[in-house]
Amino acid sequence: MPVYDRGYTHWEPSGERSYPAWWVIARRGITEPLRSRWLLTLVIASWIPALVKGTIIYFTIRAGDLLDVLAGGWTSIDAAGFLAFLEGQRFPVFALLAIVGAGLIASDRRDNGLSLYFSRPLGLRSYVGGKAAIIIFYYFMVTLFPTLALCLFSYLIAPEAGGVDLLLLIPLRALVFCTLMGLSVSLVLLAFSSLGKRSIFVMVWWTILVMGTETVQLIAKGLGNSSLQALNFLGNYHNAGALLFGAAQRLDVSSWVSLAVVLFLTAAAVVVLRRRIRPVEVVS
Amino acid sequence: MANLTFAYLKDPVLRNVDFTLKQGAVGLLGPNGSGKTTLLRCLLGQVPLKQRQVEVLGLDMAQQARLARSGLGWMPESGGLIPGMSGVALVAYLGQLSGMPQRDAMQRAHEVLHFVGLADERYRKCDDYSQGMKQRLKLAQALVHDPAWLFLDEPTSGLDPRGRVSILELIRDLAWNKGLGVILSTHLLADVETVCKEILVLRNGELLARETVSSAGHDPLQVFEVEGFGPESEFRAGLAALGAEVTEDKRLWLVRLDMQKLVGADAGDAEVPFPAAAGVSAILKVASDTGYSLRRVRRRPVSLADEFYKMVEA
Repeated sequence: MPVYDRGYTHWEPSGERSYPAWWVIARRGITEPLRSRWLLTLVIASWIPALVKGTIIYFTIRAGDLLDVLAGGWTSIDAAGFLAFLEGQRFPVFALLAIVGAGLIASDRRDNGLSLYFSRPLGLRSYVGGKAAIIIFYYFMVTLFPTLALCLFSYLIAPEAGGVDLLLLIPLRALVFCTLMGLSVSLVLLAFSSLGKRSIFVMVWWTILVMGTETVQLIAKGLGNSSLQALNFLGNYHNAGALLFGAAQRLDVSSWVSLAVVLFLTAAAVVVLRRRIRPVEVVS
Repeated sequence: MANLTFAYLKDPVLRNVDFTLKQGAVGLLGPNGSGKTTLLRCLLGQVPLKQRQVEVLGLDMAQQARLARSGLGWMPESGGLIPGMSGVALVAYLGQLSGMPQRDAMQRAHEVLHFVGLADERYRKCDDYSQGMKQRLKLAQALVHDPAWLFLDEPTSGLDPRGRVSILELIRDLAWNKGLGVILSTHLLADVETVCKEILVLRNGELLARETVSSAGHDPLQVFEVEGFGPESEFRAGLAALGAEVTEDKRLWLVRLDMQKLVGADAGDAEVPFPAAAGVSAILKVASDTGYSLRRVRRRPVSLADEFYKMVEA
């Protein structure tokens, strides 16, 4: 019988596997923005530094270390060099995450979507997990994936220069660092997104958090004030990451201080998310 | 729901609400701000509850709300759509979030969109839907995972008369023919009369009454409208001998009869209403005995609206 003649029928499960709610949310959130051409362009453009670094590595190996000296260590193929590369990806990370992440919760709040999500059999963890997975995916697209590609490329053109480091240790460090940073940054961005109902305001706050704190840090550095350097939002992640990569500190404050700041921000984000994500808006 | 008192902040929104529902269509009536939506949110487990206060499908909503929600469908009054998605994508997405496999969710989304009459518009973005289409889409998303109970919050809000009738027909079909439990929260009494067999009346967060919709014939005190001419005093005396109260309303006599006395104690129970003919016969006999000429006798119809306003204003 054709479907339009049957009226309402009860669902007969096919027995196929169903996916967890966080994965359903993440898959939609990842694929939907990729339909936008200019976002795709931004993702591709964010690989340009990786291509540049790859080219310089190639020529460095072929033409001595002249270009490496010019690039200030950014192109070196040791662990510190890859941390420098990740640090150099700050702008694509900032821009891409602002575009993808700002509206993730804000839009749901604006459109009363939270009530819809939480009328389904899913909890706060699945919801936040799914949304965080979207941000982490795009973060990986501009940090982890190019790093892994560069490690492989470097190994292929100069296996004797990096050896097992390039094939195993640096990719592993990059994976751990990017996973932890991606998780923390995604929670902070989601916390910002949960505070507003309009993406544009979330973007403004995100810009202040990332660019504003970096500007403050640069001014503080110029004035010789080291304590204010711990304000640099993304800088703290890379400074803490120096512990993992065995590299020199990126800021004038201890890496442990930066790690404490990162942990504090993550915990604060979790508290905000627990308070803000509710199916019912209570207006006092 | 066992003696539920609930407050978002300080003042309770629901006070000592206590009821048990079986499958069927139930109307949740009450003026604005009476706590209807909050009551539905409690039933969905969307607000923090104490243990054993609310049980739905045999599950304690304080602890097993997520599990219970796979058997519940929710149609919110405002919002409830995700902009940028097509109708079919939205319904399938929410089906998957309810635990359905991807292919099942998509197939089912097509089916329920056909059922609610959105087959031709299912690939359009839901942002472009009219208000009536949005309401239908919200009903479709509530149905996609084949819930045992549907919680509908003002489903006809913002609809034109034709759209209203059509969505009420769908809901009535689900409740009366397809075996789904429906709780219809509304302040539109006619909607409840169309769909529901039972009503819960809320006022200021308190459950004021629980009635069956067709209870008009079950009230032992019934009012008959009488119009005629002749010896009025004898006619009134004859009616008084029957135990009737008689008042005058413009050109009509309003005769309030105790049907329990008139037809016996067995009638008027949950299943059998008091027969209006018994009251009419008694009035005809008095008129005949006293020589009063009748132009018209009929039982005054009791509308749900009358009952509702009587309860709320009491």
